[in-house]
Amino acid sequence: MKDKTPIIVMNKICKSFPIAIGGVQQVLFDITFTINPGEFVAIMGPSGSGKSTCMNIVGALDSATSGTYELYGKDITTMTADDLAIVRNEHIGFVFQNFNLLPKRTILDNVMLPLMYRGWVMNDRIIRAREMLKLVNLENFEAYLPTQLSGGMKQRVAIARALAGNPKLILADEPTGSLDSKMGTEVLRFFEKLNKDMGITIIMITHEFEIAKFAHRVIHIYDGRITYDGKIPKSETVLLKSEKRHKK
Amino acid sequence: MTLGDILKESWISISGNKLRSFLTVLGIIIGVMAVVIMVAVGETVQKSITDQFSSLGTNTIVIRAGAARTGGVRTGNKQTLTITDAEQIKRLPDVMSITPAQMGNAQVIYGNKNWSTMMLGAYPDYAAIQDIEVEYGTFFDDTAVKNAATYAVIGPDTATELGLPENPIGETIRIQNMPFVVIGVMKARGDSAFGSQDDMIIIPVTTLKKRLQGSKFPDAVTMIALKIFPDADNNVVIEQLTSLLRQRHRIKDMDEDDFQITDMKQIMETMDTVTGYLKLLLIAIAAVSLLVGSIGIMNMMLTSVAERTREIGIRKAIGARERVIIIQFLSESIMISFIGSMVGLVLGVLLSQGVGRFILGYDVPFSIWPVILSMGVAIVVGLASGVMPAIKAAKLNPIDSLRYE
Repeated sequence: MKDKTPIIVMNKICKSFPIAIGGVQQVLFDITFTINPGEFVAIMGPSGSGKSTCMNIVGALDSATSGTYELYGKDITTMTADDLAIVRNEHIGFVFQNFNLLPKRTILDNVMLPLMYRGWVMNDRIIRAREMLKLVNLENFEAYLPTQLSGGMKQRVAIARALAGNPKLILADEPTGSLDSKMGTEVLRFFEKLNKDMGITIIMITHEFEIAKFAHRVIHIYDGRITYDGKIPKSETVLLKSEKRHKK
Repeated sequence: MTLGDILKESWISISGNKLRSFLTVLGIIIGVMAVVIMVAVGETVQKSITDQFSSLGTNTIVIRAGAARTGGVRTGNKQTLTITDAEQIKRLPDVMSITPAQMGNAQVIYGNKNWSTMMLGAYPDYAAIQDIEVEYGTFFDDTAVKNAATYAVIGPDTATELGLPENPIGETIRIQNMPFVVIGVMKARGDSAFGSQDDMIIIPVTTLKKRLQGSKFPDAVTMIALKIFPDADNNVVIEQLTSLLRQRHRIKDMDEDDFQITDMKQIMETMDTVTGYLKLLLIAIAAVSLLVGSIGIMNMMLTSVAERTREIGIRKAIGARERVIIIQFLSESIMISFIGSMVGLVLGVLLSQGVGRFILGYDVPFSIWPVILSMGVAIVVGLASGVMPAIKAAKLNPIDSLRYE
C-alpha cells in the first residue's frame, strides 16, 4: 500500500528581500499547497513571478520569511544552515537549467559527490554512481570531464547525480532551458519514466506550457501568488485567464 | 567525507592552477628555507664561540691587574698582581693549577731569520690551564722557573717563520739577543677568539721578568690564571680570591679592588645569551619572508574562493555542510603550506650543510629545531592563512553562489 503522507506541505509562505534603497520587497504572498508522493508537478509562471524563489524554499536552499514548510512531516522553517544541508542531501535531488556540474571533476566524481557528503565509503559510491550512469546511458563516459560532453549528456549526468542519493523528490529548475527541443524532450521523457516507474516525485519549474504538459499538475504563480493549482489544462488560456482574474 | 577525500579534493583544486599554486608554494619554500638557514647560521656561530670559550675551560678564572674603573676610567695593566699572590692563591683548597703570566713582545732570531712575535712568561701549569700539548720535546718544569732558565717552548708557526728544523729541540734561538734553548714545540691549535695561538713563545715567568725585562718589580705580573676543581663552585672561589687579594693588597673597605676577576663560566653564559639573541634576530628577519609567504597563501585562497563561488554553491546545494567547506579550504591552504615547508626544510638543510661544510669549512650542527619549526609553520601558517577564506566560503549563500557567473 502506497504511503500517502504528503511530501510537502507549504502553509502561507511569504518571502521578502531587503532592497538597496532601504525597506523590503515581498516576492511571495501566502503560498499554500501540498504535494503528495508520486506527483509530477510543474510550477509555472512568467519571469519575475516568484517561481524560482518558491523553488528555492521548496528545495531548502532558502528560508521563508513567514509561514510554515513541512518536508516529510518535519517543519524545516527554523532549521539551521547545516541541518538544511543534510535535508537537501538526504531527501532532494536537484537538476538545474545550467547543469551545475563541477568542471574539473570527472563524470563519475560528479555523480559520487552527494554520496561523499553522506559519508559513504568509496567502493559503495563507485558502485552506486556507475548504476546511475548506466540508468542515464552514460556508463561509457565516467572518466570524461563535463566539458567534453554535449548539453543533453550533461543534463543526464546532473540527473544521475540527483538520483545517486536515492531521493524521493527531484526538483528541476528549467531542466530543458539550455537544451534544444529534441534533447529537452528526451530529458522530459526520462522524468516521466522516473515518475511512473520509480514513483519519484518531481517538481519542475518552467515558464513554457508545452513543457509543463509533461506534468500531471500545474501550480501557476503570478506576482508572487498562486493563481491556479490543478490538473494540466487543455490550453494555456486557462492559466492566462487566472492571471487576469488576479489582476482585477 | 574521509581524510582521503579531503586530500584528493585539495590536490585536485591546487593542481587545477599549477602556476599560481607553484608561486604560492615558492613563497613558503623561501620563507622556511631562510628560517632554517638562519637557525643553522645562528647555531654554528653560537657553537663556534662556545667551543672557543669552553676550550679554555669553564673552571678557568683569570685575574687581571688594575681596577676595573677608577673615577669612570679603566685602568687595566697596572702591575698590582705578584707572583707571590699566585703562590698564596695556590694554597686555596679549590685551586687545581695556577700560573702568573706576563705578556710581552719578542724579537727572535735564528740563524739569519728574524721574527717578531708574542711572548708569554708563565708557570708550567699554564700548559694544563690552556690545554696546551707539545708536539716535540717537553714543557719547562718548576725547576726552570725557580732558576729562571733560558728555555723556550715555541708555537709551530713561530718555528716555521724562524726556519727551524722539523724537530728543533736543542736548537738555540735568540730572544732580545739572549740565547734560549728550544725545549718544546706546541701542537697546532689554530686561531681562537684571542688571536693565533700557534705563533707565540712561552718561557718561565721568572726568566721573562728578571732576565729579559730586567724589571724593578720582578715579582709583579699583569695576570694570574687558575683552574679550579670541576666540582668547586666558581662563585665561592671568586669570593675567596677577592677576599684574599684585598687583604694582601691592603685595600680598605670603601676602596675598589685593584684587580679584576673574570670567570669563564660567566663569560660563556653572557656569550651564550648574546649569540642566542643574535640567533633570534636572524630568525626574526627570516620570519618576515615567511609572513609574506603566508600572506601569499591567504591571497591565493581568497582568490580561489571568489573563483569557485559557483562550485561552493553546487556543493552546498547537494549537501555539503559549512564545516565540510571549511575543512576543504583549510586543507588546501595547509597542503600548500606543508609542501612549501617540507621542500623549504630539505633545501634549507642541504644549503646550510653544503655551504657550511664545503664553502665555509664549518661543521654545521644538525638540529631538530628546523624540522619541528617547519612542521609548526606548515600547520600554523596553513591554518592562519586559510581560516578567513574558508569561513568566507562556508558562509556563502547557496542561492547567490549558484547564480554567480
